[in-house]
Amino acid sequence: MTGLSQLLKAPGASVETADDFEAINALCRERGWSDGLPVVPPTAERVERMLAYCDRPWDETVAVIPPRYGAATPLLLAANAVMAGCRPEYFPLFVLAIEAMCEEPFNLYGIQATTHLCAPLVIVNGPVARELEINSGHNAFGPGRQSNATLGRAVRLALVNIGGAIPALGDMSTFGSPAKYTYCVAENEAASPWPPLHVERGFDAGASTVTVVGAECPHNINDHESLTAEGILTTIAGTVAITGANDLFYKAEPLVIMSPEHAATVAEGGYSKADAKRFLYEHARLPLGKFSKENIERRLRIKYPERFAKAGMDAPVPMVQDADDFMIVVIGGAGKHSAFIPTFGATHAVTRALKLHDGQLAPSVEAFRRT
Amino acid sequence: MAELRKRGLVTAVICSGPFLKLGRAQARVFGVPDMPLIVIPHPLGGLALDDVRGRADVAIPKVIDLFKAHLP
Repeated sequence: MTGLSQLLKAPGASVETADDFEAINALCRERGWSDGLPVVPPTAERVERMLAYCDRPWDETVAVIPPRYGAATPLLLAANAVMAGCRPEYFPLFVLAIEAMCEEPFNLYGIQATTHLCAPLVIVNGPVARELEINSGHNAFGPGRQSNATLGRAVRLALVNIGGAIPALGDMSTFGSPAKYTYCVAENEAASPWPPLHVERGFDAGASTVTVVGAECPHNINDHESLTAEGILTTIAGTVAITGANDLFYKAEPLVIMSPEHAATVAEGGYSKADAKRFLYEHARLPLGKFSKENIERRLRIKYPERFAKAGMDAPVPMVQDADDFMIVVIGGAGKHSAFIPTFGATHAVTRALKLHDGQLAPSVEAFRRT
Repeated sequence: MAELRKRGLVTAVICSGPFLKLGRAQARVFGVPDMPLIVIPHPLGGLALDDVRGRADVAIPKVIDLFKAHLP
């Protein structure tokens, strides 16, 4: 494996500046290497400590990040992970998340450059989520845990610094979103009555995975009164049924986050996850007449002619194309809330398992450690 | 579009003003920095049909000029 000092001799691989926090941050801001917040200076020493958890050549391209189509090598990714404040043991999961979001079905070009406000959400499952103490409970989408905060931030910095998602240049989002700073959670597998997301998507329970979703921010669904599965699901369906979602016009996979308490009520009512999805598919509908005249004539009737070409104003409009398109994940702590996360629409969630360079499933991040 | 240009076809990208910088950057990324970018007024979404025709009226003469420039 080529040593770091050798790699840093390549033209443009490193810059020299005063050994001073403010000076280094000023340099990063000038060059656009920032999300606007101060960064941890990516010194050679810190980058090398990050790369201790990398079992592949440090100059090998692991993914190409649009819209700049910059080559993401472990070296560049490690610099971004340092800047974000990651601990070195987070590095394998960060690399995996970048690889997953650069797969074709995710449509990272669209997600980066669109006027929509989506950001890649990273959902972690399996033993490594627990090993790295990724928050899946109270405030899982919020601040407080280093792994959630810095893994998600490392993703954003890589998307900007390697991928060129610079506002008004490579990132044309009309509003942007707080989720573009950091957006990483784990599923609360221990509190879920159902098989976890990665098992549902075909992976072994013992595998550690990331699932990336081109997602909006969570929107809360309050239901403190319903005592039955049908009650909870009716409230969720009512919140999911909206006229302004991108998901309406694609084979999309919007995300329903259930708190453990809501999930328990639904499961106690005899509902599997598939049953809950079916309920949402059948009940999260709006009559055609709820849409604007232009959206009916210019989009819905044209996009779905078999369903709406001659449909009357009472015709039900489902929010997804098939029941299985809904994704359901159990996250959160105590409380009678769920959340709805619409997506970019023109994207498919991608799940990847954490594997060593030889293809074996990694039982722990320590399996990546080289020094 | 970049591939078509590399094959020698007459090509252009039509975009609205706010997307000009993205278009230029993408042309460089895809190895066709000389790709003509024909700018029409923003927005393109949410327009009545007459306004869409107005955008076409802006773009079409520029497209025709482009073809004329490539006449043998």
